[in-house]
Amino acid sequence: MKILVGIKRVVDYNVRVRVLNDGSGVDTDGVKMSVNPFDEIALEEALRIKEAGNAEEVIVVSAGGDECQQQLRTGLAMGADRAIQIQTSESLQPLSVARALLKIIEREQPGLVILGKQAIDGDNSQTGQMLAALWDRPQATFASKMVLNGDTATITREVDAGLETIEVDLPAVVTVDLRMNEPRFVKLPDIMKAKRKPLDVISLGDLGVSVDGNLKIHHFAPPPQRQKGIMVEDTAQLVQELKNRGLI
Amino acid sequence: MNPKMDVAAIWKQKCPGLMVSTEAPILESHGQDWTRFTTPAPAAVVFPDSSEQVCALVQVAAGAGLALVPSGGRTGLSGGAVAAHGETVVSFDRMRKVLDFNSIDRSVTVEAGVVTATVQALARQNGLYYPVSFASEGSSQIGGNIATNAGGIRVLKYGLTRDRVAGLKVVTGRGELLDLNRGLVKNASGYDLRHLFIASEGTLGLIVEATLNLASPPLPSKVLLLGLESMDSLMKVFDSLRASLELSAFEFFTDRALHHVCRANALPAPFDTTCPLYVITEFDCPDEQAEETVMERFEYCSEQGWLLDGVISQNERQIRELWRYREGISESISHFPPYKNDLSVRVSAVPEFLQRLDGLMQKICPDFEVVWYGHIGDGNLHMNILKPVDLSLDDFESRSHEISERTYALTEQIGGSISAEHGIGMLKQPWLGRTRSGAEIKFMQQIKAVFDPAGIFNPGKLLP
Ligand SMILES: Cc1cc2nc3c(=O)[nH]c(=O)nc-3n(C[C@H](O)[C@H](O)[C@H](O)COP(=O)(O)OP(=O)(O)OC[C@H]3O[C@@H](n4cnc5c(N)ncnc54)[C@H](O)[C@@H]3O)c2cc1C
Repeated sequence: MKILVGIKRVVDYNVRVRVLNDGSGVDTDGVKMSVNPFDEIALEEALRIKEAGNAEEVIVVSAGGDECQQQLRTGLAMGADRAIQIQTSESLQPLSVARALLKIIEREQPGLVILGKQAIDGDNSQTGQMLAALWDRPQATFASKMVLNGDTATITREVDAGLETIEVDLPAVVTVDLRMNEPRFVKLPDIMKAKRKPLDVISLGDLGVSVDGNLKIHHFAPPPQRQKGIMVEDTAQLVQELKNRGLI
Repeated sequence: MNPKMDVAAIWKQKCPGLMVSTEAPILESHGQDWTRFTTPAPAAVVFPDSSEQVCALVQVAAGAGLALVPSGGRTGLSGGAVAAHGETVVSFDRMRKVLDFNSIDRSVTVEAGVVTATVQALARQNGLYYPVSFASEGSSQIGGNIATNAGGIRVLKYGLTRDRVAGLKVVTGRGELLDLNRGLVKNASGYDLRHLFIASEGTLGLIVEATLNLASPPLPSKVLLLGLESMDSLMKVFDSLRASLELSAFEFFTDRALHHVCRANALPAPFDTTCPLYVITEFDCPDEQAEETVMERFEYCSEQGWLLDGVISQNERQIRELWRYREGISESISHFPPYKNDLSVRVSAVPEFLQRLDGLMQKICPDFEVVWYGHIGDGNLHMNILKPVDLSLDDFESRSHEISERTYALTEQIGGSISAEHGIGMLKQPWLGRTRSGAEIKFMQQIKAVFDPAGIFNPGKLLP
């Protein structure tokens, strides 16, 4: 079985994101970029499945400009066998990404597709669901545990009310949550080896996918600044301050 | 009359408004630092909340001949803040005000009791950086950091606490308040008394306020955890990396240290290859160029046979995870307890020193487990000798003394120091002469007599 894993290049989780002064986007100049943390977990899970002898090949795929090759190389260094870049300079929305991934699926015929439950930049949480619908295969979203049993998989999902366990037929799309695993460190010798692993570049156009622009982001703004708190001496002052603000 | 009551009564009578405690749990908690070789027995703990109160209490102490033990976050590792003989502990727990932040001077002025991590957070909030950093930064205080000239893991790039202190307010043994250097960058007007108080370990005066320089925020960085064969190859790797990368930290530890930190924190080994030595190093990595350089260096060092294995952080979370392997060591062995040695030699002398020291340990204490780690990029080795479970604390202490004797003799031969950054305090006091000449010690005693004529500050610490 082949496993296909989606990887997105995003601003590092720990970087304090700054909105550009003109509101046209987010400042990424000199900002640390990383693999979307959920995708890293997705890849870790795929690698564990392969290491347990339940898959032969792990393929990482990313859609974006040539910068995203850096994140694909990271995926290769973690242990993926090969990488595919879907090359485009456009900024893509989930539907376009799902369409492009479907094309890759048609070429590669994976037995399992693992994605992050969302990317931490847009927080859309749509690609996996859309992909499953386009592919007409089962989806198991927000997975925190996955057990493969031949041509089905038992998946534990993190839902609002607690945990839900479902069984899906394979192939399927699984999107993973934070608690699924702890991704490994990348070994330096593996980074060297990763340089020699295949990284294919296919343009979005060649896949026959067009970018649809039915959603445009007009303006970015930082959240309103929180007012500084004050310390009160005693309850009497607390009550007074609340009164002053018309809160009681 | 109970002498403890006596001392407390003096404080209550002569310093109205000063918070005084004689409660047993407070006497115990505030009568000791991180070391566990002495039973705390202060007469009282006082908690001044202003410089004025500090001046007043020092005058009272000088008049009544009461010994004072300055006490910060009590994370010290040399017994500097230990009160075992009926002294009064002066705690700075109530002097925690941030007094000023100045973006043009890039400085922050704080009371002595402000916690190190608070200054770090304050700097970060203002787009700047306070680089003095180590595992106890969440508890240690600025006053304690200055009194010990604390170092930590960023000394390689940013220097010690001394390099951060732009101004200092201290109360001398006469109860005078000195305002030293007032935050000036340049000040060529005579003796810089500020520097005498830095690393004075509470023996010259009480630090009440400090102005600290902040640095530019660090560039994006990456962390390498490397496995190595020997100390010789470690120094070569250090040399090779430093030649082409801006290193902000270069720390080493042994496989035993890794064993303890992994066990205490349920951490997996960072990689499968087991190695005798490990290095954790952080370097500026603003662009792909730096990333390529580090790979080139890794390839080169591996080809030379210096490196056995290694991992590199991919994001900020992994940076923190990798640091846990180093930062958690001290805590993971603290329950034994360890006999800690904080040795310093010239960086170039590290391999020879370590080799001879290791040989010495195998000869004189083959029955003890020795855990090594340290700020190797600064020539600073932490040698921790663990108490075997079935040996009593007393016996362990006397064996440790023997070991110190031999260790410090070797340190002296190599021209090193018996304390790199933890201070002499009480624990290393008998061996000060191994690191300072008789003439130097005499000058230090004379300096102490000038600032503390009544000899009330931290008697028995640092100086004989
Ligand atoms: C896990 C761990 C890791 C550590 N790592 C490092 C490290 O990497 N580098 C390093 O340098 N240290 C390290 N230390 C040692 C310790 O944290 C530092 O020495 C720290 O600076 C002590 O600060 P403190 O406020 O806890 O001082 P305390 O322990 O309370 O006191 C230390 C000394 O300063 C004096 N003092 C305290 N406050 C004042 C004051 N206001 N005026 C005058 N004298 C005062 C005391 O009398 C005493 O002599 C470590 C300690 C621990 C427990």
